[in-house]
Amino acid sequence: MVCYKELEYETEKYNEMRPIGADVNRIVESSGIRTGVVYVITHHTTTGIMVNERLECLEADIMEKLGMIFPEDGEYYHARFLAEYGAMAGNPTGHLKSMVSGNHTVMPVIDGHVVCGSAQEIYLAEFDGPQDRTVSVVVMGEGQR
Amino acid sequence: MVIDMHVHPMFLEEAALTEEELERSRQEMGLYKTDAFGISQWERDCRCAGIDRLCILPLDTGGMPLVHNEKVAELVTRYPKRLIGFASVDPNRESAADDLEYAFGELGLKGLKLHPSKQRMFPADDRMWKLYDICRKYRRPVVFHSGVSMEPGTLTRYAHPLEFEEVAYRYPDVKICLAHFGWPWVREVCMLMLKYRNVYTDTALLYFDDPRQFYHQSLEVDIGKHWIDRSLRHQVMFGSDDPRLEQRRMITAIREMDMRESTKELILGGNALEFLGGDI
Repeated sequence: MVCYKELEYETEKYNEMRPIGADVNRIVESSGIRTGVVYVITHHTTTGIMVNERLECLEADIMEKLGMIFPEDGEYYHARFLAEYGAMAGNPTGHLKSMVSGNHTVMPVIDGHVVCGSAQEIYLAEFDGPQDRTVSVVVMGEGQR
Repeated sequence: MVIDMHVHPMFLEEAALTEEELERSRQEMGLYKTDAFGISQWERDCRCAGIDRLCILPLDTGGMPLVHNEKVAELVTRYPKRLIGFASVDPNRESAADDLEYAFGELGLKGLKLHPSKQRMFPADDRMWKLYDICRKYRRPVVFHSGVSMEPGTLTRYAHPLEFEEVAYRYPDVKICLAHFGWPWVREVCMLMLKYRNVYTDTALLYFDDPRQFYHQSLEVDIGKHWIDRSLRHQVMFGSDDPRLEQRRMITAIREMDMRESTKELILGGNALEFLGGDI
Protein backbone atom coordinates (compact mmCIF):
# COMPACT_ATOMS: atom_id res chain seq x y z
CA MET A 1 0.00 0.00 0.00
CA VAL A 2 1.31 3.42 -0.94
CA CYS A 3 0.04 6.88 0.03
CA TYR A 4 1.43 9.92 -1.78
CA LYS A 5 0.88 13.52 -0.65
CA GLU A 6 2.59 16.83 -1.15
CA LEU A 7 3.28 19.53 1.41
CA GLU A 8 3.47 23.16 0.27
CA TYR A 9 5.44 25.84 2.07
CA GLU A 10 6.05 29.53 1.54
CA THR A 11 9.46 30.11 3.05
CA GLU A 12 10.16 33.55 4.51
CA LYS A 13 13.93 33.93 4.64
CA TYR A 14 16.96 33.48 2.42
CA ASN A 15 18.17 30.63 4.63
CA GLU A 16 15.91 29.00 7.17
CA MET A 17 15.11 25.68 8.78
CA ARG A 18 11.40 24.94 8.74
CA PRO A 19 10.26 22.08 11.06
CA ILE A 20 7.88 19.85 9.13
CA GLY A 21 7.75 16.70 11.29
CA ALA A 22 4.22 17.38 12.53
CA ASP A 23 2.98 17.84 8.95
CA VAL A 24 4.61 14.56 7.91
CA ASN A 25 3.12 12.76 10.86
CA ARG A 26 -0.36 14.03 10.01
CA ILE A 27 -0.06 12.53 6.54
CA VAL A 28 1.17 9.23 7.97
CA GLU A 29 -1.66 9.08 10.49
CA SER A 30 -4.27 9.70 7.82
CA SER A 31 -2.72 7.32 5.31
CA GLY A 32 -4.18 4.17 6.81
CA ILE A 33 -0.75 2.57 6.80
CA ARG A 34 0.18 1.01 10.13
CA THR A 35 3.60 -0.50 9.50
CA GLY A 36 6.14 0.62 6.96
CA VAL A 37 8.28 3.64 6.09
CA VAL A 38 7.75 7.23 5.10
CA TYR A 39 9.92 9.02 2.57
CA VAL A 40 10.15 12.80 2.78
CA ILE A 41 11.62 14.23 -0.44
CA THR A 42 12.09 17.83 -1.52
CA HIS A 43 11.29 18.84 -5.11
CA HIS A 44 14.07 21.40 -5.28
CA THR A 45 17.82 21.70 -5.77
CA THR A 46 18.37 24.60 -3.38
CA THR A 47 16.62 23.09 -0.38
CA GLY A 48 17.39 20.11 1.80
CA ILE A 49 15.64 17.68 4.07
CA MET A 50 17.43 17.35 7.38
CA VAL A 51 16.85 15.47 10.60
CA ASN A 52 18.30 17.01 13.72
CA GLU A 53 17.48 18.22 17.20
CA ARG A 54 15.10 21.16 17.28
CA LEU A 55 17.14 23.66 19.21
CA GLU A 56 17.70 27.23 18.10
CA CYS A 57 21.39 26.96 18.88
CA LEU A 58 21.80 23.95 16.61
CA GLU A 59 19.71 25.52 13.86
CA ALA A 60 21.95 28.57 14.00
CA ASP A 61 25.14 26.49 14.09
CA ILE A 62 24.07 24.39 11.11
CA MET A 63 23.29 27.43 8.98
CA GLU A 64 26.34 29.36 10.13
CA LYS A 65 28.76 26.51 9.45
CA LEU A 66 27.21 25.78 6.05
CA GLY A 67 27.67 29.46 5.31
CA MET A 68 31.34 29.17 6.21
CA ILE A 69 31.80 26.20 3.89
CA PHE A 70 30.03 28.00 1.04
CA PRO A 71 30.45 31.74 1.64
CA GLU A 72 28.25 34.20 -0.22
CA ASP A 73 31.27 36.13 -1.45
CA GLY A 74 33.11 33.03 -2.64
CA GLU A 75 34.21 32.34 -6.19
CA TYR A 76 31.76 30.12 -8.05
CA TYR A 77 31.46 28.95 -11.64
CA HIS A 78 27.66 29.10 -11.25
CA ALA A 79 27.69 32.89 -11.66
CA ARG A 80 27.03 33.49 -15.32
CA PHE A 81 24.26 34.06 -17.83
CA LEU A 82 22.30 30.88 -18.56
CA ALA A 83 20.95 31.14 -22.08
CA GLU A 84 18.44 28.35 -21.57
CA TYR A 85 16.90 30.27 -18.66
CA GLY A 86 17.42 33.74 -20.09
CA ALA A 87 18.57 34.68 -16.61
CA MET A 88 21.65 34.80 -14.47
CA ALA A 89 22.84 31.90 -12.37
CA GLY A 90 23.01 33.45 -8.96
CA ASN A 91 22.44 30.77 -6.35
CA PRO A 92 25.53 28.56 -6.19
CA THR A 93 25.56 28.54 -2.39
CA GLY A 94 22.01 27.20 -2.34
CA HIS A 95 22.86 24.35 -4.66
CA LEU A 96 25.98 23.41 -2.74
CA LYS A 97 24.32 23.53 0.67
CA SER A 98 21.52 21.41 -0.74
CA MET A 99 24.06 18.84 -1.87
CA VAL A 100 25.48 18.59 1.64
CA SER A 101 22.06 18.50 3.25
CA GLY A 102 20.59 15.86 0.96
CA ASN A 103 17.19 15.82 -0.66
CA HIS A 104 15.31 13.34 1.53
CA THR A 105 14.96 11.33 4.67
CA VAL A 106 13.31 8.01 5.49
CA MET A 107 11.65 7.26 8.82
CA PRO A 108 9.96 4.13 10.15
CA VAL A 109 6.19 3.96 10.55
CA ILE A 110 4.90 1.80 13.39
CA ASP A 111 1.33 1.60 14.65
CA GLY A 112 0.35 4.34 12.20
CA HIS A 113 2.84 6.92 13.50
CA VAL A 114 6.26 8.15 12.46
CA VAL A 115 8.93 6.74 14.73
CA CYS A 116 11.28 9.53 15.71
CA GLY A 117 13.94 9.59 18.38
CA SER A 118 13.13 11.96 21.18
CA ALA A 119 15.51 14.58 19.78
CA GLN A 120 14.63 14.15 16.14
CA GLU A 121 12.84 16.77 14.08
CA ILE A 122 12.41 16.71 10.32
CA TYR A 123 13.34 20.00 8.68
CA LEU A 124 12.83 21.53 5.30
CA ALA A 125 16.03 23.54 4.94
CA GLU A 126 15.71 26.59 2.69
CA PHE A 127 18.93 27.77 1.06
CA ASP A 128 17.63 30.17 -1.59
CA GLY A 129 14.49 31.72 -0.23
CA PRO A 130 12.04 33.09 0.10
CA GLN A 131 10.30 30.78 -2.34
CA ASP A 132 7.31 28.49 -2.73
CA ARG A 133 8.46 24.97 -1.90
CA THR A 134 6.98 21.51 -2.32
CA VAL A 135 7.86 18.36 -0.40
CA SER A 136 6.70 14.89 -1.39
CA VAL A 137 5.63 12.53 1.35
CA VAL A 138 5.41 8.85 0.35
CA VAL A 139 4.11 6.40 2.92
CA MET A 140 4.70 2.74 2.02
CA GLY A 141 3.67 -0.27 4.06
CA GLU A 142 0.83 -2.39 5.33
CA GLY A 143 -2.52 -1.13 6.45
CA GLN A 144 -4.64 -2.31 9.36
CA ARG A 145 -5.62 -5.97 9.17
CA MET B 1 11.84 54.41 1.77
CA VAL B 2 13.48 51.80 -0.43
CA ILE B 3 12.11 51.56 -3.98
CA ASP B 4 12.90 49.00 -6.64
CA MET B 5 12.37 50.94 -9.86
CA HIS B 6 12.64 48.01 -12.26
CA VAL B 7 10.27 45.10 -11.74
CA HIS B 8 8.34 43.15 -14.38
CA PRO B 9 4.74 42.05 -13.65
CA MET B 10 4.47 39.58 -16.53
CA PHE B 11 4.53 36.47 -14.35
CA LEU B 12 2.38 37.66 -11.48
CA GLU B 13 -0.56 35.36 -10.78
CA GLU B 14 -2.67 38.32 -9.66
CA ALA B 15 -2.37 39.71 -13.20
CA ALA B 16 -4.71 36.79 -14.02
CA LEU B 17 -2.75 35.72 -17.05
CA THR B 18 -3.78 32.68 -19.05
CA GLU B 19 -1.27 29.92 -19.68
CA GLU B 20 -1.06 31.15 -23.27
CA GLU B 21 -0.22 34.68 -22.09
CA LEU B 22 2.35 33.33 -19.66
CA GLU B 23 4.03 31.38 -22.42
CA ARG B 24 4.05 34.48 -24.61
CA SER B 25 5.76 36.40 -21.79
CA ARG B 26 8.36 33.64 -21.50
CA GLN B 27 9.08 33.74 -25.21
CA GLU B 28 8.98 37.53 -25.63
CA MET B 29 11.13 38.19 -22.59
CA GLY B 30 13.41 35.21 -23.10
CA LEU B 31 12.68 33.99 -19.59
CA TYR B 32 12.06 30.49 -20.80
CA LYS B 33 11.81 28.70 -17.45
CA THR B 34 10.08 31.33 -15.35
CA ASP B 35 6.85 30.20 -13.71
CA ALA B 36 3.97 32.32 -12.48
CA PHE B 37 4.20 33.42 -8.87
CA GLY B 38 1.84 35.12 -6.46
CA ILE B 39 2.04 38.54 -4.86
CA SER B 40 2.99 36.75 -1.64
CA GLN B 41 6.32 35.92 -3.27
CA TRP B 42 6.98 39.63 -3.84
CA GLU B 43 5.85 40.42 -0.29
CA ARG B 44 8.31 37.93 1.13
CA ASP B 45 11.06 39.07 -1.24
CA CYS B 46 10.51 42.66 -0.14
CA ARG B 47 10.57 41.77 3.56
CA CYS B 48 13.72 39.72 3.04
CA ALA B 49 15.48 42.42 1.01
CA GLY B 50 14.25 45.46 2.94
CA ILE B 51 12.34 46.92 -0.02
CA ASP B 52 9.23 49.02 0.51
CA ARG B 53 7.87 49.67 -2.96
CA LEU B 54 8.07 48.04 -6.38
CA CYS B 55 7.70 49.97 -9.63
CA ILE B 56 6.13 47.59 -12.12
CA LEU B 57 6.95 48.06 -15.79
CA PRO B 58 4.69 46.41 -18.35
CA LEU B 59 5.64 46.02 -21.99
CA ASP B 60 3.49 46.64 -25.04
CA THR B 61 5.11 44.89 -27.97
CA GLY B 62 4.37 42.69 -30.95
CA GLY B 63 0.80 43.91 -31.38
CA MET B 64 -0.38 43.22 -27.87
CA PRO B 65 0.75 44.16 -24.34
CA LEU B 66 2.28 41.44 -22.24
CA VAL B 67 0.31 42.97 -19.37
CA HIS B 68 -2.34 45.54 -20.20
CA ASN B 69 -2.18 48.99 -18.63
CA GLU B 70 -5.63 48.45 -17.15
CA LYS B 71 -4.32 45.38 -15.36
CA VAL B 72 -1.38 47.35 -14.00
CA ALA B 73 -3.80 49.96 -12.68
CA GLU B 74 -5.91 47.22 -11.06
CA LEU B 75 -2.85 45.75 -9.38
CA VAL B 76 -1.87 49.15 -8.00
CA THR B 77 -5.40 49.69 -6.71
CA ARG B 78 -5.29 46.29 -5.05
CA TYR B 79 -1.80 46.70 -3.54
CA PRO B 80 -1.40 50.47 -3.19
CA LYS B 81 1.20 50.32 -0.43
CA ARG B 82 3.48 48.02 -2.39
CA LEU B 83 3.15 48.80 -6.10
CA ILE B 84 3.81 51.80 -8.32
CA GLY B 85 2.44 51.31 -11.83
CA PHE B 86 3.85 52.46 -15.14
CA ALA B 87 2.16 52.33 -18.53
CA SER B 88 3.55 50.90 -21.72
CA VAL B 89 2.41 51.71 -25.23
CA ASP B 90 3.71 50.42 -28.52
CA PRO B 91 4.73 53.47 -30.60
CA ASN B 92 4.17 51.38 -33.72
CA ARG B 93 0.45 51.41 -32.98
CA GLU B 94 -1.53 54.31 -34.38
CA SER B 95 -3.45 54.66 -31.14
CA ALA B 96 -0.28 54.92 -29.03
CA ALA B 97 -0.81 58.56 -28.07
CA ASP B 98 -4.46 57.97 -27.19
CA ASP B 99 -3.49 54.88 -25.22
CA LEU B 100 -0.99 56.92 -23.24
CA GLU B 101 -3.43 59.77 -22.62
CA TYR B 102 -5.84 57.19 -21.23
CA ALA B 103 -3.15 55.53 -19.12
CA PHE B 104 -2.13 58.80 -17.49
CA GLY B 105 -5.45 60.65 -17.48
CA GLU B 106 -7.85 57.84 -16.60
CA LEU B 107 -5.79 55.04 -15.13
CA GLY B 108 -3.48 57.30 -13.14
CA LEU B 109 -0.31 55.45 -14.05
CA LYS B 110 2.88 57.14 -12.96
CA GLY B 111 5.18 56.95 -15.95
CA LEU B 112 5.88 55.41 -19.34
CA LYS B 113 8.01 52.37 -20.11
CA LEU B 114 9.47 52.08 -23.60
CA HIS B 115 11.77 49.41 -25.01
CA PRO B 116 13.33 50.72 -28.23
CA SER B 117 15.09 47.43 -28.99
CA LYS B 118 12.00 45.32 -28.54
CA GLN B 119 9.70 47.87 -30.17
CA ARG B 120 12.19 48.40 -33.02
CA MET B 121 12.04 52.16 -32.89
CA PHE B 122 14.76 54.70 -32.18
CA PRO B 123 14.08 57.02 -29.24
CA ALA B 124 14.22 60.03 -31.58
CA ASP B 125 11.91 58.53 -34.21
CA ASP B 126 9.26 60.99 -35.37
CA ARG B 127 6.52 58.76 -33.95
CA MET B 128 7.97 59.13 -30.46
CA TRP B 129 7.69 62.88 -29.98
CA LYS B 130 3.95 62.91 -29.42
CA LEU B 131 4.46 60.44 -26.58
CA TYR B 132 7.04 62.67 -24.93
CA ASP B 133 4.66 65.60 -25.35
CA ILE B 134 2.07 63.69 -23.34
CA CYS B 135 4.65 62.90 -20.66
CA ARG B 136 5.47 66.59 -20.50
CA LYS B 137 1.77 67.48 -20.24
CA TYR B 138 1.18 65.07 -17.35
CA ARG B 139 4.65 65.57 -15.79
CA ARG B 140 5.35 61.88 -16.05
CA PRO B 141 8.81 60.32 -16.43
CA VAL B 142 9.94 57.74 -18.99
CA VAL B 143 11.89 54.57 -18.28
CA PHE B 144 13.69 53.40 -21.42
CA HIS B 145 15.35 50.08 -21.78
CA SER B 146 18.92 50.99 -22.74
CA GLY B 147 22.03 49.09 -23.66
CA VAL B 148 22.02 45.42 -24.51
CA SER B 149 18.81 43.42 -24.29
CA MET B 150 18.95 39.68 -23.77
CA GLU B 151 15.39 39.34 -24.98
CA PRO B 152 14.92 37.61 -28.34
CA GLY B 153 14.08 39.73 -31.36
CA THR B 154 16.05 42.73 -30.16
CA LEU B 155 18.69 44.82 -31.86
CA THR B 156 20.97 46.70 -29.53
CA ARG B 157 21.53 49.68 -31.81
CA TYR B 158 18.05 51.02 -31.03
CA ALA B 159 19.00 51.39 -27.39
CA HIS B 160 22.55 52.71 -27.51
CA PRO B 161 22.71 55.51 -24.92
CA LEU B 162 23.68 58.12 -27.49
CA GLU B 163 20.36 57.53 -29.26
CA PHE B 164 18.64 59.13 -26.25
CA GLU B 165 20.57 62.38 -26.23
CA GLU B 166 18.17 64.24 -28.47
CA VAL B 167 15.28 63.31 -26.18
CA ALA B 168 17.18 64.57 -23.15
CA TYR B 169 18.10 67.72 -25.04
CA ARG B 170 14.66 68.53 -26.45
CA TYR B 171 12.73 67.61 -23.29
CA PRO B 172 14.75 68.98 -20.37
CA ASP B 173 11.59 69.05 -18.27
CA VAL B 174 10.84 65.36 -18.81
CA LYS B 175 12.82 62.99 -16.62
CA ILE B 176 14.13 59.97 -18.48
CA CYS B 177 15.77 56.85 -17.06
CA LEU B 178 18.22 54.95 -19.24
CA ALA B 179 17.72 51.63 -17.50
CA HIS B 180 20.38 48.99 -16.96
CA PHE B 181 23.00 51.78 -16.86
CA GLY B 182 23.04 51.40 -20.65
CA TRP B 183 25.42 48.48 -20.25
CA PRO B 184 27.95 48.02 -21.74
CA TRP B 185 28.03 51.76 -22.46
CA VAL B 186 28.23 52.84 -18.84
CA ARG B 187 30.63 55.71 -19.60
CA GLU B 188 28.24 57.10 -22.19
CA VAL B 189 25.42 57.02 -19.65
CA CYS B 190 27.65 58.86 -17.19
CA MET B 191 28.37 61.46 -19.85
CA LEU B 192 24.65 61.97 -20.47
CA MET B 193 23.86 62.24 -16.76
CA LEU B 194 26.65 64.74 -16.31
CA LYS B 195 25.43 66.84 -19.22
CA TYR B 196 21.66 66.52 -18.72
CA ARG B 197 20.15 66.78 -15.26
CA ASN B 198 16.94 65.11 -16.48
CA VAL B 199 18.77 61.86 -17.29
CA TYR B 200 18.69 59.08 -14.71
CA THR B 201 19.72 55.46 -14.76
CA ASP B 202 19.09 52.33 -12.70
CA THR B 203 21.18 49.52 -11.31
CA ALA B 204 19.43 46.65 -13.11
CA LEU B 205 22.60 45.34 -14.70
CA LEU B 206 24.11 41.90 -14.28
CA TYR B 207 25.44 40.11 -17.32
CA PHE B 208 28.55 38.39 -15.95
CA ASP B 209 29.72 37.06 -12.59
CA ASP B 210 27.72 37.85 -9.45
CA PRO B 211 26.20 41.22 -8.50
CA ARG B 212 29.06 42.22 -6.20
CA GLN B 213 31.70 41.45 -8.82
CA PHE B 214 29.76 42.92 -11.70
CA TYR B 215 28.96 46.18 -9.91
CA HIS B 216 32.62 46.48 -9.01
CA GLN B 217 33.68 45.99 -12.62
CA SER B 218 30.97 48.16 -14.18
CA LEU B 219 30.59 50.93 -11.60
CA GLU B 220 34.05 51.13 -10.03
CA VAL B 221 36.43 50.07 -12.82
CA ASP B 222 34.75 50.75 -16.16
CA ILE B 223 33.84 54.17 -14.81
CA GLY B 224 35.74 56.11 -12.17
CA LYS B 225 35.34 54.69 -8.68
CA HIS B 226 34.02 58.00 -7.34
CA TRP B 227 31.97 59.20 -10.29
CA ILE B 228 28.62 58.16 -8.82
CA ASP B 229 29.44 59.10 -5.25
CA ARG B 230 30.78 62.54 -6.09
CA SER B 231 28.96 63.65 -9.23
CA LEU B 232 26.03 61.44 -10.20
CA ARG B 233 24.60 60.51 -6.82
CA HIS B 234 21.25 62.16 -7.50
CA GLN B 235 20.63 60.33 -10.78
CA VAL B 236 21.15 56.63 -10.04
CA MET B 237 18.18 54.57 -8.85
CA PHE B 238 18.02 51.07 -7.50
CA GLY B 239 16.43 48.64 -9.95
CA SER B 240 16.61 44.87 -9.82
CA ASP B 241 15.13 43.64 -13.11
CA ASP B 242 13.16 41.04 -11.16
CA PRO B 243 12.36 38.29 -12.10
CA ARG B 244 15.32 38.12 -14.51
CA LEU B 245 17.60 39.11 -11.67
CA GLU B 246 17.00 38.69 -7.97
CA GLN B 247 16.20 41.67 -5.79
CA ARG B 248 17.87 40.39 -2.65
CA ARG B 249 21.23 39.77 -4.30
CA MET B 250 21.18 43.01 -6.25
CA ILE B 251 20.32 45.19 -3.27
CA THR B 252 22.84 43.43 -1.04
CA ALA B 253 25.55 44.26 -3.56
CA ILE B 254 24.46 47.92 -3.64
CA ARG B 255 24.54 48.09 0.15
CA GLU B 256 28.07 46.65 0.15
CA MET B 257 29.44 49.21 -2.32
CA ASP B 258 32.18 51.53 -1.15
CA MET B 259 30.42 54.89 -1.22
CA ARG B 260 28.82 57.33 1.20
CA GLU B 261 25.85 55.96 3.11
CA SER B 262 23.95 59.08 2.08
CA THR B 263 24.63 58.20 -1.58
CA LYS B 264 23.30 54.69 -1.04
CA GLU B 265 20.16 56.14 0.54
CA LEU B 266 19.63 58.25 -2.55
CA ILE B 267 20.17 55.27 -4.84
CA LEU B 268 17.87 53.05 -2.81
CA GLY B 269 14.92 55.40 -2.73
CA GLY B 270 15.52 59.12 -2.59
CA ASN B 271 16.28 59.48 -6.27
CA ALA B 272 13.28 57.38 -7.26
CA LEU B 273 11.00 59.65 -5.27
CA GLU B 274 12.48 62.63 -7.08
CA PHE B 275 12.19 60.88 -10.44
CA LEU B 276 8.54 60.11 -9.79
CA GLY B 277 7.87 63.68 -8.76
CA GLY B 278 7.12 62.61 -5.21
CA ASP B 279 3.82 61.29 -6.49
CA ILE B 280 3.51 57.68 -5.46
